[in-house]
Amino acid sequence: MKRIKIDHLARVEGNGGVTATIDGRAVTDVQFVINEGPRLVERLTLGKTPEEDVNIVPRICAICTISHKYAALRAMENALSVKVPPKVSLFRELMHMGEMIESHSLHTYYLALPDYVGFPNAIAMAAKFSLEVKIALEMKEFGNHIMKTAASRYIHGENPVIGGFGKYPSKDELLWIKSRAIQFMPFVLKTVNLFCGLDYPFVPEEKTVYACCNPEKNQYGFAGDEIILSTGETLSKDDYKKLTNEFIVSHSYAKRSRYKGKPYSVGSLARVNNLGERLKGEAGKMYKQHFNRRWKINPLFNNAAQALEICYAFERIPEIIDKMIKLPDPPLVPYKTKEGKGTGIVEAPRGLLIHSYGSSARPSHPFL
Amino acid sequence: MEKDKLKIGIYELTGCAGDALLILDCEKELVDIFQAADIQSFLMAKSDNIDGELDVALVEGSVSTEKEKKEILDIRKRAKVVVAIGICACYGGIQAAFLKENEWAKNYQEVYGKTKMTHTNPVQSRPIDAYIKVDYYLPGCPIGKEQFLSTFNRIIRGNPPELYRFPVCVECKWNENDCLLNKDIPCLGPLTAAGCGAVCINHNLPCVGCWGPLAEANLTSEYHLLKEKGFDDDFIKKRMGNFSGTGIADFLGKIKGEKR
Repeated sequence: MKRIKIDHLARVEGNGGVTATIDGRAVTDVQFVINEGPRLVERLTLGKTPEEDVNIVPRICAICTISHKYAALRAMENALSVKVPPKVSLFRELMHMGEMIESHSLHTYYLALPDYVGFPNAIAMAAKFSLEVKIALEMKEFGNHIMKTAASRYIHGENPVIGGFGKYPSKDELLWIKSRAIQFMPFVLKTVNLFCGLDYPFVPEEKTVYACCNPEKNQYGFAGDEIILSTGETLSKDDYKKLTNEFIVSHSYAKRSRYKGKPYSVGSLARVNNLGERLKGEAGKMYKQHFNRRWKINPLFNNAAQALEICYAFERIPEIIDKMIKLPDPPLVPYKTKEGKGTGIVEAPRGLLIHSYGSSARPSHPFL
Repeated sequence: MEKDKLKIGIYELTGCAGDALLILDCEKELVDIFQAADIQSFLMAKSDNIDGELDVALVEGSVSTEKEKKEILDIRKRAKVVVAIGICACYGGIQAAFLKENEWAKNYQEVYGKTKMTHTNPVQSRPIDAYIKVDYYLPGCPIGKEQFLSTFNRIIRGNPPELYRFPVCVECKWNENDCLLNKDIPCLGPLTAAGCGAVCINHNLPCVGCWGPLAEANLTSEYHLLKEKGFDDDFIKKRMGNFSGTGIADFLGKIKGEKR
């Protein structure tokens, strides 16, 4: 009996370790440990106002703070029967593109790539790939710039609120983002070719169920009101508990979840596997050029899928901005805190994210 | 040259990892940061980490498990200077809002039931200074780029950081915003440490207090001001306590009906 124990996994977001037990040639047990302690966020939000909840819950995770904000807003607005105007939806989609670009650039170039080219970190990698490291940092910064424009700062910005945004950017600021997105395309295509062409080792390759949001109108995207599975099944957001039947394991404070008793996968690879045929433009061309059956069974292709999604986001930004600049800045949608229930789902960079709340009526005051 | 560089370790305890991420978000300065100091340990960014003697340890997150208790004591032993970065390390953050012992235990059981943990036992979330002496506190949720870079710059030269000792209101006035409290909007600017640039008020939104309490702030005055504006005791206390963790515990325990 042999035991392999890694206390701290390096170059990941978060703090985890792995212990594998091997008996002869068979792996008999694997424990994935999250070293983070319990934070009890699901209890912290009880008794808060809807607005306070939307302030607090993005603190669950810095790297996907925008996705948490977005999912919480969608859930709360469902609970409070708030319908936001088109410009709000577009601006939220834009902020989400910023997060995808920032997070995927960080993961592909800074966390993953050093392993494939033999360096301990991305800065050391600069000795051999100075141009790539520099431009990839600029790409990451561009994602952060979009988040700052929409949310007010890189991490945990409060500008997106129930019913809209506190403030909107000027037309010039939006046009700058659009032109910068177009300017980046040559490097984006290079990124896709690089990560789709890496020599991904064979790992124990096995079929899994992939789950992600099902965007409306047969589009690719990062939000929707339905969940789609690689089995072809779809679930309404309100039936999310069929997919997230959480249970506790004794070696981690992170809860686990199974679908029909089996593990399932989420994230870029799940999205590309389930929705890849919907990709258009350069991302669509790249998908057709690079996608093969190994993407369905080897989780390392998540890096390739992230690169493809960077391309999707860069092509989507000019489309969003062209629509946004034609619309006036809407005032916040007024609402009252009332009794209700609501669920909101989006795709965080690392996968399907669900927020669900119940609210009760209470004396309302503007801006609570 | 290598010898002259200070040995620095960046550590993450329980939290959102936003302070470590903010350091990686210094895209323009990142290469310089790695060259200016000898970064011995930074799990999020590198794989060749060494846990040895340090000149400076930057620690984010709150202490929430027995294992983290040991870890923070070990960091203190190895480091000449310890800097708490971010509100969780400074005050415990959102997860330290259960201020009464039984309140935390009850809520813990609601989430995890009676499952006995095998990897490490939980402890009620506390800021790192509940266990060790902290030399400097860099507030924020997460820390701000400008304050981090200036602090880092001073620390690697062996100088103490120069942090703002005034509330968000001062930055808000620099930006010539209208005061939201005058419009009856519950803004926590007067109580909250500056450094964010009054970013929420710049966006027509009230300060939610995410940078944590300012030692010199007049909490009693804000409490009564909000009461006069028609907010109830429960609402005001919850709002003040959302982000401040243990940093506001004394005040919340004391305040009853006393006048300003």
